Amino acid sequence: LIETDAARAEWDNPMQFVLACVSYAVGLGNVWRFPYLCQMHGGGGFLIPYMLMLVLLGVPLFYMELAIGQKMRLGSIGAWRAISPYLGGVGMASVVTSMYLCLYYNVINAWSFWYLFHSFQSILPWAECPANSNLTGPVEECERATPTQYFFYRETLDISGSIEENGGIHMGQALCLLLAWIIVYLFIVKGVKSTGKVVYFTATFPYLVLIIYLIRGVTLHGAINGVKYMFTPKMEQLAKPTTWINAATQIFFSLGLGFGSLIAFASYNQYNNNFEKQAIVVSMVNSGTSIFASIVTFSIYGFKATFNYESCLERVRLLLLNTFDLAEDTISLENVNHWIAELNRTHPEQFASLGGRLETCDLEAELDTAVEGTGLAFIVYSEAIKNMPVSQLWSVLYFIMLLLLGMGSMLGNVIAVITPLSDLKFISVLSYPVGLVCLFCLLLGLGFTTRSGNYWFTMFNDYGATFSLLFIVLIEVITVCYIYGIKRFEKDVEDMLGHRLNWYWKIMLAGVSPILLIALFIFYIVNYIQGGTPTYQAWNKELGKSVVTEYPPYAQAFIGLLLASSVCCIPLTALYTYCKKRNLASGKRERTVSTVSL
Amino acid sequence: MLVRILVLLYLAGAPALAQTLCQPNASNGYRVRISIKTALGNQAYEWNENEMFLFRATMAFAMRRCYKTETYNVDNIIVCNQTLRVSFWFVVTSPENSTMLIPKADVEKAVSMSRHRINNAFLLTDRTLEFLGIHPTLAEPVNPDTPPWLIVFGVVIGAVFAGIIALLVSSLLQKRRKEKGMMEDGQDEEDMQVKGVENGNVLDGIYNRGFTDDDRFTKL
Repeated sequence: LIETDAARAEWDNPMQFVLACVSYAVGLGNVWRFPYLCQMHGGGGFLIPYMLMLVLLGVPLFYMELAIGQKMRLGSIGAWRAISPYLGGVGMASVVTSMYLCLYYNVINAWSFWYLFHSFQSILPWAECPANSNLTGPVEECERATPTQYFFYRETLDISGSIEENGGIHMGQALCLLLAWIIVYLFIVKGVKSTGKVVYFTATFPYLVLIIYLIRGVTLHGAINGVKYMFTPKMEQLAKPTTWINAATQIFFSLGLGFGSLIAFASYNQYNNNFEKQAIVVSMVNSGTSIFASIVTFSIYGFKATFNYESCLERVRLLLLNTFDLAEDTISLENVNHWIAELNRTHPEQFASLGGRLETCDLEAELDTAVEGTGLAFIVYSEAIKNMPVSQLWSVLYFIMLLLLGMGSMLGNVIAVITPLSDLKFISVLSYPVGLVCLFCLLLGLGFTTRSGNYWFTMFNDYGATFSLLFIVLIEVITVCYIYGIKRFEKDVEDMLGHRLNWYWKIMLAGVSPILLIALFIFYIVNYIQGGTPTYQAWNKELGKSVVTEYPPYAQAFIGLLLASSVCCIPLTALYTYCKKRNLASGKRERTVSTVSL
Repeated sequence: MLVRILVLLYLAGAPALAQTLCQPNASNGYRVRISIKTALGNQAYEWNENEMFLFRATMAFAMRRCYKTETYNVDNIIVCNQTLRVSFWFVVTSPENSTMLIPKADVEKAVSMSRHRINNAFLLTDRTLEFLGIHPTLAEPVNPDTPPWLIVFGVVIGAVFAGIIALLVSSLLQKRRKEKGMMEDGQDEEDMQVKGVENGNVLDGIYNRGFTDDDRFTKL
């Protein structure tokens, strides 16, 4: 039984809706996952599978979700129940997945706040190692790793050695998480009225920062190395299937399909809103932003790699000068390599005594160190920033941008949970239940601020949404095209837009996208099975680096629970509806999609 | 006559003796490494005899400053094995007995105490004027009472709470205005009107928002 209020809240104007979608889709993944993938899969050449997947998979599915939301004018649970009562579980699965995302995603915003607040110091705390207790040198852990890694793993996270070692809550993190949740609550407390105004800022300001960073980035010394490295296409990468798989998954997750956020956003649209144009615009903007952000990232990369390379050369130069007692100006940075060969020739025994202390400095190797995810954003970028002049300013700008990107995506996540729940009257239209949802997420999210919290975070990040989403969207597409029927869908769209579905949409939705999704799905399962025991990167404080560790059995069970809990909603709800229908076989007038014969 | 010969021998032997006291890897000696060009770039001065004299004088000063009872002189600082790198070894002899070397630990204490003065005499730093084996004492970390990040956090959360209060006040004022205005659609009660809709499809027609109570419908 679905009762709905005929006068649903609406966006003030279509622009708010577009900006909300942009703000949601353009998130941290554009900044840190796409550049990583670009680097891994042959630079400029990666754009080919990326664009192809955008056209074949991304845009049609995006269009479909907007159409459903706008037509049904309900959140994901209500909308899917309306389309097919047996598949109301799809909406439920979306809500569960969004819930997981809500729990852990805001922790990233908490870190951004932490770094932002720490940027207001004359020396950035991640620029230098702190001194140890008897002031003879830097702290050991910091010496073995780098100051930026030390700041992230020790001072920000206070990370333990493995997922089994628990610890107390990091108070600073907890405070920042509290702040992040208060701000999210304020943004959504008045529904689309407040959200609509907020997205003007969260959608546009990051672009301003990106442009400023682009200008700063390309003028940095050595930036050109990074940009050249990124754009040099390595076409042989296109032959590997993982390239295409990664392109597809990147498009998929970047657009935020399957979480129910898009359906929720579109449900607040006017009935005749032209979502077709908007779908294309938002998808293009999202991909364009990824490419733009990767130019910025790679110029920063190039700067960092060149800086490290030149530091390495400087260290080698000093080592040679000190060992062979040559005058200071004999060896310069340019002829270091020449001198290495020369000294090896003239003083072989003394040269041999250098042994392992002589480093090989390789610019390519520096550029090759691909890092993704939180490592890129919080370690690599902050390392590059600390070497820029006026680093505090750049640091503040950067972390504000990360915050806005993260908050924008968070809005979508929370709205995806709240809209269906409020449609179902589980929570009433008062703002206090919204506050309760936020409070609930905050309390559970505190678990991610404990000493082993980052490991749980990584688990949620890797497993909470990936597999379930593929399954959800696959079921979505099959439901809309084959159970609901592409013909009915066509009619609904014509009703809303005034013109029929283009052949492009029909072919993609009914044919190409499901096939691609099934292929992706099978690949994921195969990959997961072949991958053996799932592992994670544990920070080892003695070595000062991350080591690959296997998950303990209870953690693996938890991973299974994460995957199963969202996916199971679909068959369980179908079963439940079937049983209910059988029990109430006759008489009762169900307000369901009566023409669906199942 | 014999005395003169002895004096001559002594004068000839003294520098030789001094040289044997100062040797590379001497047990009581330290090696110094100076990187002037790295520190000063274009304004680098040249290392010559005068600079070496200044070094010896500075070391004597450091020893005097540390051990106030004994008067060290430039002669008590013996240097040897200077290389092009500009590195050399030095040892410190006692002012009373010029054949006796001051132990390593005492020299280290004196150097650590006056390190800053020694550096400044040469316009160098701990890194560019290295005493190999003597670690520079790092500066005391500045520990402010309130960490600066907490201050910024306080400012931001204060602003957020101010925003919340403003929000509450404005919604209260709006409510009061509405009570006076007596609009037809009532207040934040849960009296939803269930319109006859079928399976979630809103009935046709564009809803006339002229009578919408905005406040009511924006609550999720």
